Amino acid sequence: MVRIRLENITKEFGDFKALDGIDLEIEEGEFMALLGPSGSGKSTLLYIIAGIYKPTKGRIYFDDGDVTDLPPKDRNVGLVFQNWALYPHMSVFENITFPLELRKVAKGEIRRKVAEVTEMLKIENLLDRYPWQLSGGQQQRVAIARALVKEPDVLLLDEPLSNLDALLRIEVRAELKRLQKKLGITAVYVTHDQAEALAMADRIAVIKDGRLLQVGTPEEIYERPRHKFVGGFIGNPPMNFLNGFADRGILRIGKSTIPLPKEYESVRGEVIVGFRPHDVEIGEGIEGEVYSVEHLGREQIVTVSVEGEMVKVIVPGDRRFEFGDKVRLKPKKIVLFDKKTETAI
Amino acid sequence: MRDIETKSRKSELLIILTIVIASVPMILAFSLLVLSSFSEEMVTNLKSFRPTLENWINLFQGKMAITGSIRVNIFEITLNTLIVALGVAGLVTIVSTLAGYALSRMDFRGRKHVMIALLVLHAFPGVALIVGVYLLYKLTLPQDPDLMRFYSFFYVILARGALEIPMSVWLMKGFFDAIPWEFEWSGIIDGASRITVWRKIMLPLVKPGILAVALFAFIAGWQDIIYVRTFLIDQTLATFIESNIESEFSHMPLIAAAGTLYLLPTIVFFLIAQRILLQGYSGGLKG
Repeated sequence: MVRIRLENITKEFGDFKALDGIDLEIEEGEFMALLGPSGSGKSTLLYIIAGIYKPTKGRIYFDDGDVTDLPPKDRNVGLVFQNWALYPHMSVFENITFPLELRKVAKGEIRRKVAEVTEMLKIENLLDRYPWQLSGGQQQRVAIARALVKEPDVLLLDEPLSNLDALLRIEVRAELKRLQKKLGITAVYVTHDQAEALAMADRIAVIKDGRLLQVGTPEEIYERPRHKFVGGFIGNPPMNFLNGFADRGILRIGKSTIPLPKEYESVRGEVIVGFRPHDVEIGEGIEGEVYSVEHLGREQIVTVSVEGEMVKVIVPGDRRFEFGDKVRLKPKKIVLFDKKTETAI
Repeated sequence: MRDIETKSRKSELLIILTIVIASVPMILAFSLLVLSSFSEEMVTNLKSFRPTLENWINLFQGKMAITGSIRVNIFEITLNTLIVALGVAGLVTIVSTLAGYALSRMDFRGRKHVMIALLVLHAFPGVALIVGVYLLYKLTLPQDPDLMRFYSFFYVILARGALEIPMSVWLMKGFFDAIPWEFEWSGIIDGASRITVWRKIMLPLVKPGILAVALFAFIAGWQDIIYVRTFLIDQTLATFIESNIESEFSHMPLIAAAGTLYLLPTIVFFLIAQRILLQGYSGGLKG
C-alpha cells in the first residue's frame, strides 16, 4: 500500500498536449476516481502511473521513492483494462497465474494465492474455462483476479465497468468498492461516468483537456464545483446555468431578480449562476415557462424555459404541470461563476 | 413480395453461377491430369480413359522414360523438394514474425523507410534479380564437391526466401496491427519483457497469420523452378518434371502421375491449414 504523488505531470504526443501540469496526491488506501469526458487525458494519466507511458515532464512518487523511470514490472501495480485484455489462448487459471509464473513463484505458493484470490472473487469454479466461455461479468472478475494475485501496491482500473450491462454495473460497483476497502489497497479508477465516480470514490479528480479542474470528495465536487464544467458534468441531470448580473446582493436574470446569499454580497458584474435541479423550489423567483415534463415515478423533471435557456427542475411527482404554464423558480443553493474564466467566484 | 432480400438472393445466385462457370476449365484441367495418371494414354475424352496403375508403379520405381533404361530416385527428388520448401517456409516465417512485430509495434528511426523499401522490393520480379544473385552465388560457392551440394541447398533457400520475405513481413505486420495494445500492456504490467510478450502473448494470437505466411512460403519453395534450376545441384520435382517433358522418351501419362504427386502436398497443406486459418479467437477482449 503506497501513497502516490504526481508532480507537474505533462505528456505530449507529438504536437498534442494530452496532460498539462497535473499535481495530484493519492493517499494510502484511498479510492481515487479520475473523472472526465473522453479525450480528457484521464487514461493517459493512469498509464503514466502504471509506467506504460513516460511523462514528458514531471515526476511520479510512490511513497517517497521516485518511480518515474522505473519500468512497469518494478512498480508493482495491478491494472484492469476497459476491455479486460484476458489472454484468449490461456485458460482462466493460466491467465491468473501468468504474473506469478513470470516472477518464478513456487508452484505450491501459486496454488495458494490463486485459491485465495479466486475464492474472494467467487470464480474458483471457472479455472479450466477459456475467456470466450465466460460472461462479461465473469471475464471482469478474472481480470481483477489477475491484477490482484500479485498483491500489488496500487490497483489501477481503466473504466472496468463500461462493458457491463447497466444492472450488473451497479451491482459490481458496490462490490468493487467493498473489495478495495477490505484489501486497503490504494486504487485509481478512471471513468467518464459521474455516477460511478460519486458512488465509489473517496475523492474525485475532475480532468478536462489535460488539466485538473478540481479534486475533492464526492460531496465537495457535487455541492461546490470550482469550475462551471465540473457542475455541468456531475449530477443527473447536471447543474443548471443562467446568465445574470450581480449588484449589491441582488442577482438580475432577464426581467426577474433574486437575492444573493451573504457570501456573494460583494460580487458585482456579469456572472453565471449555477444551481442543482434538486435545489429549486417552484414559487417566487425567476420567471419561466414549462417546456416539457418527464415523469420518473416518485418525482418528475420539469424543463423550464428561462429567457430562451433551458433549466431542469426536479419536483415531487404529485404536482401537475402543463406545457406553457408560467412558473417562478427559487433556487435554494446557488454557485456563481465568473463569466469569462468560468471558475467559481 | 418483392423486397431487397429477394433481389440480393438473385444476384447471389448469379455470382455463384459465374464462379462455377469460371472454375470449370481449372477443375477440368486438374481432373484430366489426375485421370491421365491412372490411364494408359492421356485422357482427352471418355473413350481414351483405360485404367491402369502402371504409371504410378513406374514412377515410384524411378522409371521415367518408357524405355525403362534411365532410373531416378523419385523419393530423393521429393525429399529435395521438401527440404527447399520447408527451408523457405522456416526462414520466411521466422524473419517475418520478428520483423512484422517490430514494424507494427516498435517506434524506431527509419521505420517508414523500411516499410516503403519492403513494398518496392516486393515489386521486383525474382527473374530480374537472378543475374546479380547468381554472381553472388559464384563468388561464395565452396570448392569441395560435397560442401558445394550442401551449399547449393542453403543458397537456394536463402535466395528464394528473400524474395518472399517483403510480402510476408507486410502480411505479419497487418496481423500484429490487428491485436489491441492492451494485450501487450497487460503482459508488460504482469512483469513480462518485450520478447516474452512477443513469444507468449503475441505469437499465439497471430497463429493464423503465421500459418498463412508459412503456407505461402512453403508453396513458393515447392513450386519454384527458376531459382532451383539456376542454383540447386540436385533436382526437385519441378525441375524433374520439366526436364522429362523436354526429353524425347517422355511418356505423358507417367508425367501426369509425377504432376499429380507434385500437387499432393499443396492440397494436403491447404486442407489442414484452412481450418486453422479460419479459426480465430473470440472473447477475452471487449470494446
